[in-house]
Amino acid sequence: MANIEARSEVNGSVWKLLVEPGAAVEAGDTLMLIESMKMEIPVIVEDGGRVVAILVKEGDAVAEGQVVAELEG
Amino acid sequence: MSWEPEANEIAARRRFSEALGGEESVARHHGAGRLTVRERIAALTDAGSFREVGRLTGAATYVDGVLRSVVPAPYVMGLAQIDGRPVAIGGEDFTVRGGTSWGSDRRKGGQGGFVEDLAHEYRIPLVNLIDGSGGSVSSARRRGHTVFPGIHGFEQSAALLGEVPVVCAVTGTAAGGPAGRAILSHWSVMVKDTSQVFAAGPPVVQRSLGQTIAKEDLGGSAVAVDAAGTIDNVAASEADCFQMIRRFLSYMPQNVWELPPSAPCEDPVDRCADELLSIVPRDRRKPYDMRRLMRLVADQGSLFEIQPSFGKAVITAFGRMNGKVVGFIANNPMIYGGAMDVKAARKQTHFVELCDTFHIPIVFLVDVPGFMVGLQAEQAATLREGMRAVYVSLQATVPMLTVVIRKCYGMAGMATCDKNGLDFKIAWPSAEWGSLPIEGGVAAAYRREIAAAPDPKAREQEIEAELRALASPFRTAEAFAVEEIIDPRETRPYLCAFLDAAQGRLAIDRGPKARYGVRP
Repeated sequence: MANIEARSEVNGSVWKLLVEPGAAVEAGDTLMLIESMKMEIPVIVEDGGRVVAILVKEGDAVAEGQVVAELEG
Repeated sequence: MSWEPEANEIAARRRFSEALGGEESVARHHGAGRLTVRERIAALTDAGSFREVGRLTGAATYVDGVLRSVVPAPYVMGLAQIDGRPVAIGGEDFTVRGGTSWGSDRRKGGQGGFVEDLAHEYRIPLVNLIDGSGGSVSSARRRGHTVFPGIHGFEQSAALLGEVPVVCAVTGTAAGGPAGRAILSHWSVMVKDTSQVFAAGPPVVQRSLGQTIAKEDLGGSAVAVDAAGTIDNVAASEADCFQMIRRFLSYMPQNVWELPPSAPCEDPVDRCADELLSIVPRDRRKPYDMRRLMRLVADQGSLFEIQPSFGKAVITAFGRMNGKVVGFIANNPMIYGGAMDVKAARKQTHFVELCDTFHIPIVFLVDVPGFMVGLQAEQAATLREGMRAVYVSLQATVPMLTVVIRKCYGMAGMATCDKNGLDFKIAWPSAEWGSLPIEGGVAAAYRREIAAAPDPKAREQEIEAELRALASPFRTAEAFAVEEIIDPRETRPYLCAFLDAAQGRLAIDRGPKARYGVRP
C-alpha cells in the first residue's frame, strides 16, 4: 500500500473539499478546489486509490507544493 | 610492399581506444547505471553512421621504442547521422580520469575543440553528451603554472548558438566547465537519478559554506530542472534521453540558413474537434485543460513540450500544423490562472528567441490575466522578467498568430502579440481583454463615485455589470480592434491556412538574426 501525497500546485486558500476520508478516487478526480488568483484550481488525483486523510479544511491558506491530502494506492 | 603492417597498427591502436578506461573502470561506470560514451553515441545515432575523429589520440607508453599501450583521450567525437541528417557529436569519457580535461595540441571537444569547429564549418547541429567535471587543480603541477579561466573558452560554443542547433545532454555528474557548457545550448536534458549538474559539487560547497549536502540533493533533476530551470527537460533513462534528443532535432533545421523540416501530415487539416466548443467553462472562475486544447488543435501526436516542469503557468511546445513546424506558447489556467510569474516569463522569453532563431512561426494560445501579483512576485522581479518577455517578442521577426482563448490582460497580454508584424489577433467567443480585469479595476477607477453612492457595494456591482456588457468580444470585432472571432472548432483549419501561407516569408528571412539593443 503505497502512500500518495496530493499537493497544491498553487498558493491560495481552500475553497471547497469534494471528497472525504475513506472515499475511493480514480486518476483525474478532483479532491478539492483551491481559490487562487480568483480561480478555482483543482487538486487532481494522479493515480487512483483511497483517501486516507484530508489535511486541510475549507478556508485554510495553502502554499505551493503543500501536501493537502494523503491517499493509498 | 603494401602498407599492411601499418594498417594492422591502425587496427591495434583502435582497440586501445575502444577499451576506453579499461575493464575495471567501465564495469564501475556500468555499475553506477550509466552507459559509456561509445554506447551512448551508438544508441543515439543511426546504426553504422558514426565516423570517429581522433581515435588514435591519447597518452602512449613505449618500451624500447615499442608501443605497449595508449590511454585514450577522455573525449570521443566525430560525425554521425540522426534520422538521416548529419550531426557533430561528442562526449566526455568518464572512464578515463573522470572525463577531466586533458592537454593536447588541439582539443577534441567539450569546450570548443574540433567537434564544435565541425558543427560551425559544416553548419550541422552539435550534440554534446556531457559527463565530466572540467578542470582539475592537478594540471598546475603538470604545466608548472596556473592558467587563466577560459584557456579553453566558450567563444565557439557561444557563436554556435546563432548558427546551428546545439543540444546538451547531462548524462553524469557535471560541474564547472562541462556544467557551464550544458547551459550554452538551445535545449538541454538530463537523466533522472543518474545525473547531476551544478557550478560546484558537494566538496566545494562543504569547504565554502560549511553545508553538507548530497550531490543528488544539490544538482539532481528536482533542483536543476523542476526548481531552477537550469536544464530544460528530464529523461527517465538514458534511452529515453536519446529518444528525446532525436525528437527535439526533428523540429530543427540543420542551421539558421535553412527552414525546419516539414513532415507528411496524416491528420486532416480541416479536422474540427467538437470538444473545442465546450472546453472553456462558461464560469470564468473555472480553469480547463490547456494541454488537451493544444492536442485538439495541433497535428495528432506532434507536440513536444520544452521545460514541462518549470514555469508551469505557461506551456511551451514544438508541434506541427499540416506538417509544418510551429512553436506553441499557451498559458495554463490551472497554475495561478495562467498569470505570468518570473519563471514563466523566463521560459517564454527563451522559447520565443529559440523559435525566432530557427524560423519557427509562433502560435500563442492566450489565457493570461496579467503578471503575477503580490510581494513574493515583486521580490522575484516579475515585472522586470515579464517586460523582458514583452521586449523579446517585439524583437522577434518570425510570424506570430495570437489566438485569445479566454483572458488577455495587461503587459503579459502584450507579450503575446506580433505588434511589429501583422499583429493578427484571433479570438474565441470566450475571449475577454483589457488593460486590467474589470474586477480589479472598478474599485480604483470609480473610487469617488462608489464612495458617494448610498449603497457603495451595489454601485460597484452596477458599474462592473455595465463595463462587462461592453467587454463582449463582438463589440471589439465590430471596431476591428480584434481582427477575427472564430468558432473554436475552426481553430485548426484557420491557423493551418495562415501558417501554410507564411512559409514563403519564412524562406525569405532565412539566415542569422541580428539582435540589437539592451534587454531590460
